[in-house]
Formats: sequence, C-alpha cells, structure tokens
Amino acid sequence: MDRRDFIITCGTVALASMLDANFYSNLLANQKDNMLKTYNKAILVKEDGTPLKEADIKPHVNYIFFYPYAATPCYLINLDQEIKPVEIKLKDGKSYTWPGGIGSKKSIVAYSAICAHQWSYPTKEYSFINYYPPDTPSETTKKAGIIQCCAHLALYDPKEGAKVIDGPAEVPLASILLQEEEGNIYAVGVLGVEQFTQFFDSYRAELRQRYGTTAKARELVEKCTVMEVDKYVQAVVRC
Amino acid sequence: MFTRRDLLKSAGIGAIALGVSSQPVFSAAEKVVKMEAMLPPPKGNRVVICGGGWAGLTVAKYLKKENPNIDVVLIEKRPNFISCPISNPWLADLVSLDFLSHDYNQPAAKYGYRFINAAVIGIERDKKRVYTPHGFIEYNYLVLAPGIRYNYAAWFKEDKEMARFTRMNFPAAFIPGSELLALKRKVHEFEEGDFIITVPPGAYRCPPAPYERACMVAEVFKRNKVKGRVIVLDPKDDIAPKGPGFRAAFEQVYLGIIEYVPKASIKEVDPVNKVIKTTAGDFKFVDANLVPPHQAGALLWMADLIAKDKEGKPTGWADQDPLTFQAKADPNVFLVGDVISGTPYPKSGHMGNSQGKIVAKIIASRIAGKEYKPTLPDNTCYSMVNGSPQEAIVINVNYEYNEKEKKITPKPKVINERSEALAKATYEWARAIYRDMFA
Repeated sequence: MDRRDFIITCGTVALASMLDANFYSNLLANQKDNMLKTYNKAILVKEDGTPLKEADIKPHVNYIFFYPYAATPCYLINLDQEIKPVEIKLKDGKSYTWPGGIGSKKSIVAYSAICAHQWSYPTKEYSFINYYPPDTPSETTKKAGIIQCCAHLALYDPKEGAKVIDGPAEVPLASILLQEEEGNIYAVGVLGVEQFTQFFDSYRAELRQRYGTTAKARELVEKCTVMEVDKYVQAVVRC
Repeated sequence: MFTRRDLLKSAGIGAIALGVSSQPVFSAAEKVVKMEAMLPPPKGNRVVICGGGWAGLTVAKYLKKENPNIDVVLIEKRPNFISCPISNPWLADLVSLDFLSHDYNQPAAKYGYRFINAAVIGIERDKKRVYTPHGFIEYNYLVLAPGIRYNYAAWFKEDKEMARFTRMNFPAAFIPGSELLALKRKVHEFEEGDFIITVPPGAYRCPPAPYERACMVAEVFKRNKVKGRVIVLDPKDDIAPKGPGFRAAFEQVYLGIIEYVPKASIKEVDPVNKVIKTTAGDFKFVDANLVPPHQAGALLWMADLIAKDKEGKPTGWADQDPLTFQAKADPNVFLVGDVISGTPYPKSGHMGNSQGKIVAKIIASRIAGKEYKPTLPDNTCYSMVNGSPQEAIVINVNYEYNEKEKKITPKPKVINERSEALAKATYEWARAIYRDMFA
C-alpha cells in the first residue's frame, strides 16, 4: 500500500497530511491488511492542561486517557524498558506491524482499554481490566507485567503489542499510535482490531447517562487528558 | 428416533385420522397430520438451533458473524431470557430481576437470525425436520442446546404424581421460570426450622450453585433474623469446586446457619411427610429446595442422541464428539452446552458461551467446505459467598488436549479467599457475557 492508498482507505486526507512523514512511511511500509486507522491528531495533556512530557510518565503506573472518541478509554504505560516492534498475526490470517514503544527509551506504549473479549472497560466506578506491574502479579493467574481483565481472565502482553497471552480473547487489544513531536506526545491513530462499534452498541444507556447523549460520547477528541487510573476509577478491581 | 407416529402420540392423539375428513371442522389429529412447512425450504444452508440459552444464543450470533449468508433459525420455547447464573444473588435481592432478564429481539434483529418463540414437539433426523406447533422447519444442520431436565424418576420411579407434587412444592430451581420465583418466595417467607438443599449426584448444571445458594438463602435468614438452619445434603465427600472458599464462608460468615452434611446420598425422599433418608442419616425439614439428578434436556431424548453405557442403558447425557460437539450418530447434528458428556467440562453458562463460539466456527467452516481445527473452550465461574458485604470467590479453568492420549485435561486456577473485588467482578462477568449474547 502506498501513502495515497492508505489515505484513501482511511478517508482522512487532510488529517494525514498533518502527520510526520517519516513516522508514517516507516509504519505503513509494513502494513498489509488495512489494520491502521488514523483519527484526530490529539495532544496528550496533564490534568492541569499543560502538555504531557515523557518525564511525567512514571514507570509501571497505569494511566488513562480517552481516544479517539470522548468515551473510549485507553491505557498509557511506561514499561521502563525498550519495547521493540512486533509482527502481530491474527487468527483470521491478517497481520500488522506494531511499532513498539516511544520516548527516549522506547518504553511508552498505549492500548485501547476496551477488552477485546466482551468489552469490559474502566468506568469511574470500576475497572476490571488493568495493568499488573512486575511487582504486583495477578492473584489468580500469578502473572505480572500484563494487562488482565477480571471478567473472564483475558490476558494481554503490553510488551508485545497487547497480544493475547491466555484466556478467551480472540484478538489483541487495539493499539493506540503515539507520536512524539518537540517533546509533546500525540495520539494519532488506532492499529489492530478496533472494538468501538461493539462498545458503542453495548453501552448505549450507560453512555447516554454519562455524556448526556451518545453523540457526545462519540465526539472525536483533539486533546486527551491523562491521569492515573487509580485517581480516575473509584475501585480498581484486581484478581 | 422420533417418528411421525411418535409425534402424533406425543401430541396426545390416540387415533390417527388419515384421509379426508367429511367434517367441515378438522379434528386436532388432522391438523397435526396436515402440518405444513413453517418456513420455505432452505435455499442455501440453514442451521436450526433448538434452545435459546447461553450455548444456543452464542451459536446463532457467531454463525451469522462468521457468514451472514447462512440462514440461522433459533427456536426457544420461553418468550424471554432469564439468566440462571446470578440467580442466587437475586434470591437474596443483591440484584434485580431486570439484571437477569433479556429480550431475544435485540440479537435476532442485529445479527439477522430468525427467532421463533415456540416449543419443539418433534425431530425427524432422516427428513431433517424440526416440528413446532406452527409447522415444521427443514434444516441442513441442527444444533441441539436444550439444557437440562430433572430426573425425578430416580427418586420416585413411575410415581409421576409424587414427582409433580415435589416439583410444585419444593422446586429444584435449576431451570429459569416459575420455579425460581417460587424458591425466592419460599426463602423470603420462611420463618423457623430447617431448610434443606439437596446437591444432585453425578453431573449437574452449575456445580458450585448449591453451595452458593446455601450462602444466599442463609443471607436472607440472617437478614430476617430467622431461627433456622440451611442444611446442605451432599452425596460427595466434600464441597467441590472451590471447597475451601465455600467452607470458610459456611464457618465464618454463616456459622450456625449453614450446616454442611457430606456423604449424604439420598435413599428416599418423602415430600409429603417432609423427610429425606440419606446415607448420612434421616433429615426432617420445614421447607426445602429438592434438586433431583439432572439429565440432558428432552430434545436429545426426542432425537435419540443420548449416550449408552456398556450395558446399553442411557447415561442421561449426549453422545457427541468431545472436540467437535458433533453427534456421533448424525454428522449434521451438533450437541452443545449442558447436555454434553465425555469431557471434563462443567455444565455452566460461561462454558455454553465458549462452546457456542467453537460450534459456530465448525459449522461455518463446513458450510464453506473448509476444515477447521477446533479449539478448546474455557470456563470462569464466580460464586457469591457473602451478602453483606458482598464477597465472592472464583475459579478459572483452561483446558489442554493430549492428542496421543486423546484426553482433555483441566488446568484450574482458584481464588478461595473471598473479597469484595471479586463480588464486583462477578457482576461484570455476567454483564460481559450478556453483552456478548444480546448487545
């Protein structure tokens, strides 16, 4: 696929032209199955509204932000080690190249926090899907350094593009593409199998209650406020 | 196999009226004889699924997802779905009936399968027909997912009146509907004395359910300050699964309320005088949740797809391939969910959902003329063991298949330490599968 084809596929001509050419030429070189979709180029900011910097992202802390829609949560994690690109092969034969971590250590990754199994996601009340740092293994699966959903114990590996390690999920968590520009961090697209359609179908009543209308929940964001999951969610449910 | 003659008999018709009646009004028998196709014959590939529980609903949805061109028909006798999982917390008012209730319209409309709200009254496998009171439906592939039925004959032999009396007065409540509502009413009305719960022998739907139910009934007694006990009569040597977790709840949360009696195989049930004789002694009760042995649902008996033991007697459960769920006697029929046998799989909602996805892939692949190597299902099961504060325990099981030994081995992971976090996860477990089946 060349850049023109890619842009047509994504239907985001104006937007894509704003993105870093090197970043995309490298990424697109290995994408075969239309698994990449760009959305708004949205800057990641702190709770005080100032741009989030690499130094603000503490190792192994689970951060949350919402992208590409106002209601779709993502996790941002500094895994404190270089995270290399990975070729992800799906069960249906499709594949994509996950570009690995960003930042000076290439240690920062981001994933959609909507479980690819049955769409559990962190709300203000609970989060059943969480990152388990190396020193905090899951009581049930005894595994650490993973993203695990307590609903049915779907396990994903954040070091490997959120590949499924164990449990009932059929596909990895969708990856959020991050891009660094002059010390700022931007979310620019989603790579992998999106779960947004199922998410919006499943939570209509809940989203209407939270956002007023489902249209507001579906608004594409241009700025993402990043905060620690423990501060956003009342009860982080680990298992 | 269920024959046309049997079908007529089962419809309560003694004499079969053949030929044209001279009467202007057809008799009931003639109406059955003249039963016509309910749907036009299948143009491509029609899959008829009998049973709209956890397994059947999942097969229906995922077949359409695999291939929207497959003509999928889901037949279910209940007008709406009530979840058996989470019905124990509902007994103690920890969730509402709304939480358990779902409509069949939503997934049928969204995924494009036909939902037919009717009972199946006959199956003719040689003609590939399923009969409903509204006519017959022809299939290319048939999926039977009827769940369980109760084997009261194990207690009362041919005495059907005693079985009926027991079912009305001391309902088992392992099948959704009136019996669940009746059990809840009885638990909340209970004032004093011993309330017995019997654990069925052999394989039964939802292995931890009787123990979780004991906790939830005890929770109501505790809340209502009832001077009574919940006595659990279990034919097993000990509580399983999640034995340590349940035992801790019995001894710490509901001490003096729940009495667990192991090795209590039932010898005789006298529902009139309210006495149960067991190998662990005789027990009188004021009220009870009497749960007889379970068997595969009636449709499997109707279709003559029940496994037989070495002596040729029916085992009570399906005769199907453990990996593909295909009926051994009929390559066009798949048996899924609580009915199956010959595997280490528990009869659970999660398992039905997990198996349903596999069966959908197998059938869709076969229709596409491709071979599909089946994966193994998994199971996660939470049990609420405390009502205030709400606390739960959990077991998760993945399975491994040894090709050489042709053996499926469970790899369980258990948390027996009850927690409020697991109670919250219990409800998310259910909501997530409801989303999968309905949203």
